Formats: sequence, structure tokens, C-alpha cells
Amino acid sequence: MRQERKADFLASLAQRRRSLAKGWYKFSRNPLSVIGLVVLVLIGLAAGLAPHITPYPAHARAFTNFKEAGLPPSGEHLFGTDRIGRDVFTRVIFGYRFSLLLGIVVLGLGVAPGVVLGLLAGYHRGTWIETAIMRVTDVFLAVPPLVLALAITAMLTPNLLNEMFAIALLWWPWYCRLVFSVASSLRSQFFVREAELSGASESHILFREMLPNCLAPILTKMTLDMGIVILLGASLSFIGLGVQPPTPCLGTMVADGAKRLPGEWWSTIFPALAIVIVILAFNLVGDGLRDVFSVEEV
Amino acid sequence: MAKYIGLRLAQSVFVLFGLSIIIFFIARVVPGDPARAALGFLATREQVEKMRVEMHLDKSFPEQYYYWLRNVLHGDLGTSVYTKQPVTADLRRYIPATLELILFATLISLVLGQVTGILAGYFRNSWFDGVSRLVSYLGIATPSFVIAILLIFIFSQIFRLAPSVGRIPIMMTAPPTVTGFMVLDGLIAGRPDVAWVALNHLILPAFSLAMIHIAQEGRITRTSIVENLDKDYITMHKVHGLRTSRIVFKYLLRPSIIPTVTVMGLDFAFLMSNAFMVELVFMWPGFARYAVTTMLNKDLNAMVAVVVVIGVTFALVNLLVDILIMWLDPTIRIQRRGGSA
Amino acid sequence: MALLEVKDLHVGYRIFEGDLHVLHGVRLEVNEGERVGLVGETGCGKTTTVKSILRVLPIPPARVMSGEILYRGRDVLSMRPHEVRDLRRREITAIFQDPLQALNPVFTIGTQLRDILKDSTLHSGGRRLAKKEIHSRCITALEETGMPDPERIMTNYPIQLSGGMRQRVCIAEALSRKAQLLLADEPTTNLDVTIQDQILRKLDELVDEKGSSVLMITHSMGVVRDLTQRLHVMYAGTIVEVGPTKVVMAHPAHPYTQGLMRSVPRLTGAGISEGIPGRIPNYLRPPSGCRFHPRCEHAMPICEQEAPPFFDVGESHLAACFLYRR
Repeated sequence: MRQERKADFLASLAQRRRSLAKGWYKFSRNPLSVIGLVVLVLIGLAAGLAPHITPYPAHARAFTNFKEAGLPPSGEHLFGTDRIGRDVFTRVIFGYRFSLLLGIVVLGLGVAPGVVLGLLAGYHRGTWIETAIMRVTDVFLAVPPLVLALAITAMLTPNLLNEMFAIALLWWPWYCRLVFSVASSLRSQFFVREAELSGASESHILFREMLPNCLAPILTKMTLDMGIVILLGASLSFIGLGVQPPTPCLGTMVADGAKRLPGEWWSTIFPALAIVIVILAFNLVGDGLRDVFSVEEV
Repeated sequence: MAKYIGLRLAQSVFVLFGLSIIIFFIARVVPGDPARAALGFLATREQVEKMRVEMHLDKSFPEQYYYWLRNVLHGDLGTSVYTKQPVTADLRRYIPATLELILFATLISLVLGQVTGILAGYFRNSWFDGVSRLVSYLGIATPSFVIAILLIFIFSQIFRLAPSVGRIPIMMTAPPTVTGFMVLDGLIAGRPDVAWVALNHLILPAFSLAMIHIAQEGRITRTSIVENLDKDYITMHKVHGLRTSRIVFKYLLRPSIIPTVTVMGLDFAFLMSNAFMVELVFMWPGFARYAVTTMLNKDLNAMVAVVVVIGVTFALVNLLVDILIMWLDPTIRIQRRGGSA
Repeated sequence: MALLEVKDLHVGYRIFEGDLHVLHGVRLEVNEGERVGLVGETGCGKTTTVKSILRVLPIPPARVMSGEILYRGRDVLSMRPHEVRDLRRREITAIFQDPLQALNPVFTIGTQLRDILKDSTLHSGGRRLAKKEIHSRCITALEETGMPDPERIMTNYPIQLSGGMRQRVCIAEALSRKAQLLLADEPTTNLDVTIQDQILRKLDELVDEKGSSVLMITHSMGVVRDLTQRLHVMYAGTIVEVGPTKVVMAHPAHPYTQGLMRSVPRLTGAGISEGIPGRIPNYLRPPSGCRFHPRCEHAMPICEQEAPPFFDVGESHLAACFLYRR
């Protein structure tokens, strides 16, 4: 018996390795996706190691040096300095830290409840459970996410925590809807019926039978969503509702720097480019993932 | 068909109710005293107490909601703490400006986005296709405020081609408000100079708004056209000798724009969100800027009204888009009825 | 002069892995008033041939490598676009296999039929048809295919019709103009068995009435026996045998045709039919010489070296096989 189990386990491991290899092959067929992935890894590493690799880590905290304010890009300050003398390059890297953190937390908090609710609603299709869940989802989707995020963040004190909380609160409906549509079409398929007939518990059916089939669109959407969340966060801080100074945040940096255009263009343009690059990278990787999961017809 | 619309409207009303309750709840739960905020910190304690009673703040939450709802149904959305005006007056002042901006942006995105999408699809893998693909990747990845700032940087500050602030120059007097659309009002008042200037002021902000739509919707149209070009029925149209213009502009186009229109409904959410950013950057005196200001100032009455208005607009637009899709794609209409037209 | 003559047609398809040499010297003839059949397995290049005749091959990835397609003596492959369009509007018409895919899903039958008629008289001195006349011609075309209630069908969308009705619509589309040559590519293969017969008979009737010539493409020997006078047998992009239908079926000359005849189940006589051993070739690396030689029980050394030309095996009966070399 144990022999069988071990053989099964090894076989499934081998199979998983094979499908990963096949997935990577499909992904790497598109050079843009690979570039996106490389960029993401670089940004991730830079953000993670920020205090150790940036030239002026102290500038990411409360720091002023008016003697060196408003300097254009140079050897000492790659991206120049902003109006109170802080090195823009350092702050951009630290800004990435917060952007990525925002994305991870929001998706971490928001995806799981959305997926669970979507599974429940899809499985109990046609009952009051589905109606209740989906109507609540509708309410949250009735306005654009930015508007609600704005409203909620505005009403609470603007800081990183509240911002994350507000956005995460709005994110689950999208996953709920996505999973719901997949789950409700799965519901009537044979393997679900079989599981029911053989007495499987509901949680088993939901998480071991239906969930794996939803993983592909969920993962793709999560990747693309990272870009959107970062964009949302940047927008919020641009308005002034995000992290508070002196914490570096890309959106705030763009807003501050915009006032000094066209003169000290570097304090706006570089953070702006940084935002575009990270969102672009997530989009490219997300597109690549979509290719990986798509069933190709010969 | 009418039944479907009726059903959708009923659904929307229900959803909007829920939305208003949620927003109202959050607004009331938030710390801070709306009565004091309304009167300012110089007011005496008695004045604040009187105001509290007036604002029904001493009553329970459901009662407060009831009063609010009753007022709304009578057209009274409360008074803005910030502008000291009735919210409805504020809305009437600011909505047309945003509407003008949004309409112009939609026009630009339709013309530029769809035409490039169609051409890119028809001439797939040409240099045009490649360039448009690059542009659309960038367009999707760039937040609207970044685009706005870049546009201002390049066209307003470096090249001095277009203005970047407001709807008309400060020195110019506005024409009497007829439609609320500056360009039209200028023409109606017989002042083409105003209309022309207003148009200039519209260009950059509208383009900032339109960019993401050009990028995304154009791309979808392109993909759709490429897919449909290979379809058997297009080959059959050729076999039967239909002339090329008819094949491309009628038989290829209609099935191809269906996915795009579907996305337009969802994208409208982005349009509204981006309007917030763009209006801030360009100091456009519109509804979105009003909304942001009220939120930053915790102006509760205005905020709740704003969210509800946005919700209503969104619901209407989605309904319109769905109706449009049903007209474009009869298969949806038929499947919905279960087989008969 | 033959109505349609395909001469030594070579067509290739470029795919990711390389170049597929799909049609390898196809020769085909249809004379005026004739019903000619073209049989072969799925994937042997029948549809590619038809598409080449109509010049609707997807170029790229396809390309015509060499050969001629003569319609009334003029090479279709070198015609100008407007000449090709005239050809499609007035001379040659076609029906294909999948009627659901062949009709545009978002337009009514009426719109599609009317537009065909509207555009059919353009350019070459035909007069413009009036709306009423167009409409009545559409109704007539539908009625001729045996469709009940044509007025209502005109307002329907393809998705609302059954498979058989859709194919009737396709037939109406094809025969709404007076065409000299009808190319029918497996018109009933996708339909219910019960309707196949009906549709074929109707097609037969109509073609008779209008005096058109037909190139009937199918993989069913039954269809060919009932409806054609002359028959081409196609294998892997080449024509291996051609002759009067009855003769070819009763006395198949080419080993492939012989295999085909043996595979057809018989109602009387000996037991289960045999198939032909082996598989259709890979067009990326097709067999050298005769493309059938790997599966042929009579294969000789020369079969691997040279592609066999046609040899006479009877009255108007030809086979491309070295067995018949004098």
C-alpha cells in the first residue's frame, strides 16, 4: 500500500514538473512576456533590498538638505534631487517597495474571500445563497473602484494601512464574479455530480474539485490586477490620499514634482516612468500567463 | 425587449439602494462632527447643538437614512458644507463641464481607437500593426494622470501648442449658459472665438482621458477583426462576389465590434475614474473635481450625493451598452428568448 | 474546349514547422453540362483545390507554386481582381461543407441573400435590379430549394434554422444567380443522414433545371455513384484516376481506387469490408515519386523514384500508376 502511494506521489510530481516545463515553454515563446518577467524580478529584488542597494537610504525618511535641492540628474544623483534635497533615485526604489507591498496585501486580502464567495455562489446556483452573494457583489460593482476607494479612504485617515484596507475591500467582488461564472458552468459537469454522489463534503467539492479548474483565470487576473492596484494606489496618492510624507510613494512624487514642471522635470518624469514600467511589466507577464493557460488548437 | 429593460431598471434601483445605504452608513460612522464642520469652529456650542437637531444627527441611523431618502426623492440632496450651496445646484453647475469632457474624449477614442484597430487588424503584422501594438501596451500601462502631465509637459510647456488650465482663458468672459457645453454655448451666442478657444482647452484633457480607451478598445477590435477575417462566412462572402467595401464595412465590421462594445461598458468605469485625475491636473471645473474636493473635505452630504450620482450614471451606461450589444448581435437576443426571434 | 481545366496545379502551405506541399500536380476537367465527381479521403486536398479555383485561398500562408486553372480557356490564376469578381458573380459558384459557419451569424438570411443579388450585377454592364425584383428573386431562390415559408426565413437569423434549412439557404445563395459551374464541396456531410438524401436530390433537380455543370466533391462513394457521370479520384494532393463513374467504380485501375472500392460496405456478398493499410502521408515530408507507394501492395522500385503520369486503361479512363506502363 505504501509502495503504491509513493509511486503515485512520484508520478504526480513528475507530471507537475512536466506541465511546468510545458508552461514555461509556452510562456517563453513570447519575448515580451519574458522581458516583463525579468523586469519584475529586477524591480522585486531592488525593492526588497532597497536599504542596502540605494545610494542614499536615509533620504527615504524625514530628511531635508536644501543645499542640494533641485539638482538635475548627475553621477551622484542618478535621477537628480527633489525640492527638499532628497535623491530621487533612492526614493523611487523605496516607492516601489510600497507599491509592491500595496499590491501584495490588497490581493492577499481581497482575492481569497472573493474566490470563496464565488465558489459558494456558483455551487449553490439558483438558490438564495447565490442571489444574496451576487446582489451584494453587484452593489460593490455599481461604482468604479476608484470612486469607492476615494470615498472610503477620504473618510478615514489617509495612510498606507487605510488605503490598503479600502482597496482590498473593493477587490473581492471582481474575483467573486469571475469565479462564479466559472464555477456555475462547472457545477453541472460530471465530475461534480460524481463527487456529490460519492458523498463528498461540500468543502471538498468546492476546494478540491472546482477550485483547481478556476485557478488559471484567477492567476492571470491576479497578475494583471497587480498592475491595476498599483495604478490605483498611485492615483490615490496623487490626489493626496495615500501614504503621507515623508514616506516615498510614486504617486505623491509625481504630484509634487508636477508643480515644478517644466523646470525640474526629473522629479516628476522619473517617478512617472517608474510607475509605467512596473505596470507594463505586470501586464506583459499577465499576457504571457494567458498564453500559457490557453488551449492551443493545431 | 421592454421586459428586459424593465427588469434591468428594477435591478439597478435595488442595487443603488444598497449602495446608498452603504455609503450613508460609512459617512455617518466616520469620526468627526458634521454639525460642527458645517458651522465652523467659531460657532458656539448651542449653535452646534441646534444644527445637530436640524441635521437629524440626534436620531437613530435608520431614521437619519429615512430623512435623507425622503429629501432625495423630493430633489433635495442636502447642502454642501464646503460650498454652502444646495448640492443639486452644485451638480447642475459642474456636471455639464465633465459631460463635455467625457463626450469629447469618447469621440476621440472612437475615431482614433476604432479606426486604428480596424486597420491594424486588416493589415495584420504590417508595420502599422506593430506600432499600434506598442502604443497600446504603453497606453494601457500609463495612468491617466501621468499621460495628462506628459501631455502638458510636451504640448503645453515645451511646444506651447495647447493650453493646460481650465475651460477658457481667465480673461475671457463665458457665454451665457444654454447647454452647459462651452463649445456649443459659444456657437449659440454667436461667438465663434469662444467656441474655438474652448475647443483648444478641451483637446489635452480629452486626449488624456481617451488614451487608455484608444489603447485597450482598439486592441480588442484588432484582435476581433483578425479572428473574423479567417472565418468561413467571410470567405463565402467573397465567393458570392460581394464587393469588398461591403464585405469589410458591413459583414466584417459588425461581428468584430461586438467584443469591443462589451468592453466599453466596463471601461466606462475607468473613464469616470480617470476623469477625477484629469480634472485635477487640468483644473477643469467639473463634477469629478467637485467630487474629489468634497471627499477631501469630508463634506458628507455632497459625498453621498456624488457616489449615488455616479452609481446612477454607471447603471444607465451599462444598460445602454447592453441594449446596443443586443442590437448588434442577434444571437444574444435570440438565445435569451430561448430560440425564437 | 472544356469548361474548367485544372492543369498541373501545385499549391503549398507555410506552417511553423515548414512548407507543406499540399497539391502536387492536380489535373482536373469539367466539360459543359457534365456532372463530375472528385472523391478522396479527408485531408487529401479537395477543398484546397476548390479554393484555388475560386481564388479564395488564404495567401499567405498558402501559395500557388505553379500550374494553371483555365476557365473557358482563360487562366483564372492570372486574372485581375475585377475579372475574378466577375467570374464569381456570373460564372462559378460554390457550396461548402459547414452551413452554420458559412452564414454570417449577425445578419438575417434576407440581408445576405439580397446583398448577393445586389452586387451580382455590378461592374460588367448588368443593369441594377430594383428592390422588388431582388426580393422576389430571393424568395424564388428559397422556394426552389424546397424551403417552406420563404418569407419568414428571410427574416430569420442563421442560428434559428436547422442544419438542413441552413444548407438549403446556402444552395439558394449559390444558385440565386445563373451560374455555369457549381463547385459543391461535401454539401451534405455535416447534415443528418435522414436529410442528406433530400438535399442531394434537390440539388440534382436544380442543377438539371438550370443546366449548370457540377464538380461534386465528396468522400462518399454512394453520392458519386448516383449523381456523377465522370469521376476523379484524389489521393494526397494528386489525382490518381479519372474516368466514367460507373467504369471506375466497377473496374478500378489504380491500387488506391481498388482499396477504396473494397472499403465500401456491400449489402450483398462477402463479409466485412477491408480498409487500406497505412496512413495518409505527412505533407511536410511527402513520399517521393508516387505518393501512394508506401501503402501500395503492387509497389515497384520505379514508384519510389518517379511520379507516375497518366496511362490509358480504357475508354476515357486514365490511371496514374506504373502498373499500366506499356
